[in-house]
Amino acid sequence: MHRFLLSLITLLLSATVAAELRIGLGGEPSTLDPHRYNLRIEETVLTDLFEGLVTFAADGSVAPGVAESWQTSDDGLTWQFNLRRDARWSDGHPVTAEDFVYAFRRLLNPATAASLAYFMYPLANAREIATGEAEPHTLGVQAEQPHTLVITLAAPYPYLPERLLYPTGYPVPRHVVERVGDDWVRPEHWVSNGAYTLKDWRPQEAIELARNKHFHTPATLAGATYVPVASAQNAFNRYRTGDLQAIAGFPAGELERLRAERPAELREAPLQSAFYLAFNTTKPPFNDVRIRRALALAVEPRVLTHQVLKTGDIPSESLVPPMVPRYTPPALPHANLPQAERLRLARALLADAGVGERLEVTLKHAAGIANKKASLAIAGMWRQIGVRTRLHQAELRAHYADLRQGNFEVGHAAWLGEANPEHYLALLYSGTGDTNYGRYANAEYDALFEQAKLQADVAARHALLAQAEAVASADYPVMPLYAAASQRLVSTRIRGWRENARDVHPLRYLAVDP
Amino acid sequence: MSLAWLARRLAGVVLTFAVIVAAVFGLLRLAPGGPFDGERALPPEVEANLRAAYHLDEPLPYQFARYVAALAQGDLGPSFRQKDFTVNDLVARGMPVSATLGAGALVLAAGVGLWIGISAGLRPGSRRDALLMSIASLGIALPPVVAAPVLVMVVAVFWQLLPAGGTGGPAHYVLPVLALALPYTAAVARLTRGSVVETLAAPHLLTAAAKGLPQRRVLLRHILPLALLPVLSYLGPMAAGLLAGSVVVEQVFDLPGIGRYFVQGAINRDYTLVMGVTLVYAALVLLFNLAVDLLYGRLDPRIRLAR
Repeated sequence: MHRFLLSLITLLLSATVAAELRIGLGGEPSTLDPHRYNLRIEETVLTDLFEGLVTFAADGSVAPGVAESWQTSDDGLTWQFNLRRDARWSDGHPVTAEDFVYAFRRLLNPATAASLAYFMYPLANAREIATGEAEPHTLGVQAEQPHTLVITLAAPYPYLPERLLYPTGYPVPRHVVERVGDDWVRPEHWVSNGAYTLKDWRPQEAIELARNKHFHTPATLAGATYVPVASAQNAFNRYRTGDLQAIAGFPAGELERLRAERPAELREAPLQSAFYLAFNTTKPPFNDVRIRRALALAVEPRVLTHQVLKTGDIPSESLVPPMVPRYTPPALPHANLPQAERLRLARALLADAGVGERLEVTLKHAAGIANKKASLAIAGMWRQIGVRTRLHQAELRAHYADLRQGNFEVGHAAWLGEANPEHYLALLYSGTGDTNYGRYANAEYDALFEQAKLQADVAARHALLAQAEAVASADYPVMPLYAAASQRLVSTRIRGWRENARDVHPLRYLAVDP
Repeated sequence: MSLAWLARRLAGVVLTFAVIVAAVFGLLRLAPGGPFDGERALPPEVEANLRAAYHLDEPLPYQFARYVAALAQGDLGPSFRQKDFTVNDLVARGMPVSATLGAGALVLAAGVGLWIGISAGLRPGSRRDALLMSIASLGIALPPVVAAPVLVMVVAVFWQLLPAGGTGGPAHYVLPVLALALPYTAAVARLTRGSVVETLAAPHLLTAAAKGLPQRRVLLRHILPLALLPVLSYLGPMAAGLLAGSVVVEQVFDLPGIGRYFVQGAINRDYTLVMGVTLVYAALVLLFNLAVDLLYGRLDPRIRLAR
């Protein structure tokens, strides 16, 4: 009896001090349907709820997911994924190749209205289906066997596994979706195939996750809660009171103090991202390469990152972030010139272009302290060559709307994302559309870029892409600045947390000390 | 009070509501941008699919007719941004939080405000009057946007006495209610004091005193009913405003009420969500104003007769 009581007490005690993990989420997800999502915060939660053919390793790289292996044909057009036999939905149903066929067709079906459907455009017929020109069943994906999935591409795309990391590549439980329709995302109907399943979702309050007991590699943590926070200040307050154990953002002004006072909790990592200045190449006088070159020469990315921002950003002279593997950016025309020489050259270019010291530039940037500081510093650098700068700040959404509509002279832009150079260099391709903000068009660049896209071999592809970047860099359509860093506060009780360039931290790799 | 008067008032309420529905619908569509602008740009065909899914490709009068038809059945439509919830759902989940916060602040503001106002107003010019009124002035100067972050910083972060935000129990409401009630308490106090002072000068009070009525009776029967009239007309819209949630307080304390939807919905161009919370707020304001009108009649016979 005594022993029974004692064990009961220990049980109760361990239940009350049970390692609970509450993580701050920088906003409220607009949906947990992996095919309808759009935001990074949704990606964070969906990564824990679902598993695609591939998944994130703890360091953010690509690891086998539902597919335990895959092979590519020599032409790079056919990919065979071999699915693991023990993959299960959280209700015990097996996850099969048919589930992926159903999911990919659903994603591209115009009726689903998936905002990121274009992530799967590398698949044969995908774009045609999204535009309504082809039927969903014509999509380049087949279930050859219950556990063999074959994907056919429209053109070689060696980065397919990385592309499949996005929730747009996740399966959805057909047996539930067809029964309850759009309500399948409600906690009461929820079925998913990731390490966790959705226990409860109270908007603006909490998204509670519980371990999926049918997952092939059960996670350490029994559960966790994502807590939407309204601001970085709120997140910081609630972290300091112990209410949250990990947060993604805190007020920018706190960084220096946190570095000194909480070094063990502050996790900084460079982010795979390109922050750059886009020049509107269609708008005089910025259609003149001499003007663009002069403005670019005057800006010193290293001064920006190391003396102005001081947030751990990594200066970059290439539009492709330095941590992107297997890519060697071309040597830039102005690389290694001392700053005095660069400024002299810039002044000469302005004089040559006939504007001398009369040039006035409007520099547009999105609201935010870092953006403002960077823009002010750039204006200061331009003043050294006699250029006067007007700063124009707008709310994030309005700013990017301006950029996309070409309603700017010079604009501060950011592009986050993938570990392949094409993702960034597409921004300079004339066929890209309105995310080629400055409407840069160079036939030679376009030809090299298109040629690269036909290569199945990564080395050959990247060599062509580097050639293309060399062509563009002589035209100065953009001024690359830096890869930004991410900062998080993570309680020292959390184990298994690894900083990475994608800033992803799946719960299944974490444990919490009591 | 005549039935005709009540019917006229109700018709006015319905008409005002209809005008608000049309005006908010029109204003929202005038705002630049749309509900589907996200972090990532959308290809035109994808945006077209989205617009079709939410009937945004139809002519505006059609969309309006569709909205009104659903509204007539109490359906506020799907949220454009919170895709997994309907607006009815979001309002139903957020309303209890906002109402708890608002009711707390209302009780605190009305209770403490009236007490301060009456005790200061009964002895105008006294030292107590001066002290209470300077505290009240300070309160008015401390809107939630100032008071809330200070309370969080001091009470939650430094002293670690109360939660810094979120939900989970009554303790989570203490700081938000305080922050929200502060300026209202001060306003009620000042208004009540002024009104009490004014009423004290009325001739019928001289009569009451001359008749030798006990002071308590004079206060309850002759001073307060009159003195409270202006306070009451302030409390009506104030109650409506408080119950519909506070944008600032809910934001600072991460409270999942409907107040936050006003700003978020507007920034996200979530047409249906903004319509939904605005209409709920409008309905509350109209109803509380009607309630105040009805109460007026009970408190002041002159108004009752005029109807």
